[in-house]
Amino acid sequence: MTKEKIVNTFQNKFPEKIEEIPFVGVDVAFEVESDLILEVCRFAKETPELGFDLLACLSCVDYIDHMELVYNLFSFTHKHKIAIKVSLPRDGEIDSITPVWNAANWHEREIAELFGMTFRNHPDPRPILLPEDWDEGYPMRKDWEGKDFVRLPKK
Amino acid sequence: MSDYPKNEFPTDGTGENNLENLVDPLGRNPDTVVEKIDTEEFIVNMGPQHPSTHGVCRLLLKMDGEVIVDVVPYVGYLHRSMEKIAENRTYLQYIPLTDRIDYVSAMFCNHVFCMTVEKLAQIHIPERAEYIRVIMDELNRIASHLIWLATFALDLGAITPFLYCFREREKVLDLLEMVSGQRMTFNYMRFGGVSKDLPPEFIPKTKEFVEYFKPRVDEYEYILTNNPIFLGRTKGVGILDQKTAIDYSVTGPNLRATGLKWDLRKEEPYSVYDRFEFDIPTGANSDTWDRYMVRIQEMRQANRIVEQALESLPEGEIKTKTPTVFRPPKGEVYARIESTRGEMGFYIVSDGSTKPYRLKMRTASFSNLAVLPEMSRGWKIADIVAIFASLDVIMPDVDR
Repeated sequence: MTKEKIVNTFQNKFPEKIEEIPFVGVDVAFEVESDLILEVCRFAKETPELGFDLLACLSCVDYIDHMELVYNLFSFTHKHKIAIKVSLPRDGEIDSITPVWNAANWHEREIAELFGMTFRNHPDPRPILLPEDWDEGYPMRKDWEGKDFVRLPKK
Repeated sequence: MSDYPKNEFPTDGTGENNLENLVDPLGRNPDTVVEKIDTEEFIVNMGPQHPSTHGVCRLLLKMDGEVIVDVVPYVGYLHRSMEKIAENRTYLQYIPLTDRIDYVSAMFCNHVFCMTVEKLAQIHIPERAEYIRVIMDELNRIASHLIWLATFALDLGAITPFLYCFREREKVLDLLEMVSGQRMTFNYMRFGGVSKDLPPEFIPKTKEFVEYFKPRVDEYEYILTNNPIFLGRTKGVGILDQKTAIDYSVTGPNLRATGLKWDLRKEEPYSVYDRFEFDIPTGANSDTWDRYMVRIQEMRQANRIVEQALESLPEGEIKTKTPTVFRPPKGEVYARIESTRGEMGFYIVSDGSTKPYRLKMRTASFSNLAVLPEMSRGWKIADIVAIFASLDVIMPDVDR
């Protein structure tokens, strides 16, 4: 499926909610509102022409004034790939997409732990990577400073 | 175990006694043979320091007798927060760290990181460098599959393949050391090419190895493939169907063992993989034996690619010059390659400075391990060792 067709399919379903953005390495990337993410993902997976069956990657980026989540999707049947982006406030909540792809489960746990995001209706919201007794906040945030974090003096 | 008729199992793996279906070999009424007792589920802790977890992974097994009811993997013991470290290093300084993501196939980590940055900065790579990269990747794939085969067979109680595999692996590592100076953490690739050219002894030595290695794979197969004990431990054990595999983003040999002919080297050719002839081995039953077979065949294919690449290796530059203070343009990029364990990808956000603003790695083992509970429910405790080993999970790759 061509780039235009993918965008059109999404735009027909969610009019005026899809905004294309530049992204190297995927066919097309766009931004949606955070409330729509579960619906968009379900649509991407279940529409036969799109058929995005693989959640390749799920990342979070801290832009200090807001957070961005990036969903990299891929289709085995049509061999096209997209990136979906949502931006939300730093302590925002977003729907978990684990009901759509089980692969999101661990990725969301990681993001929740390292960035302090909250995923609504997550089936297993336990921490995953950090030690059990971790109490130093969310280490992947840009303004995080650990207890033994020493900044080198500027020359 | 797979040939065992289902109704002779005292439990069906759901944790409830299924004594109604118990067939007594002497034809007696089961109610009189076995008293109906309520068994209590109990928890067995496996790891984090356990020889068959290949690193430090803790599995909490919920057991009903000898049957696994549920598995809860605990990961993170090797978490080094490499993504955070990346934000405080320049792009070039980060290459040696990528070796430590997946230390048994470090070339792939080098390759995918360089490829991602090259994609963003649109750096041209000389043809010779691409060929060298492919040769290194495929030699590393052989080394990685060998260490997998060795430990997998060892987990199942076969000691001989372990010795055989390490014998050949050492030869591969010698070749890689000859080129990069390191046995495992190579730090070999650079943006725009590779750091050093191949030494003159490398090509004859590698050709020798390729010929030497061909019959060696048959040797492993001779020991294992039709061995009744090996078959009993692997055939039909730990079935992972294709739908579940895709749902959990399982990639690589584990996905190909479910019958899906999917390989990024063929479907989305990066580097110069489109110039070589090779097959994509797939499985049919998606069991542990299939995952074994796919990797055995992949070693042969990797050997084939090395052979072809050596023959057609062009002369020329090995590196495009990049500025010493390297600043890729502002933007976002996601690139992926077919590593030994599956799709390995990097997502990089660049703000135009010398350091990445954000770097996220998508490692294959992370997703491959998440599917373990789905595969092991209903199997016995001894089988989880085989199932876990067949997934080829490397713990630093999971925890990063």
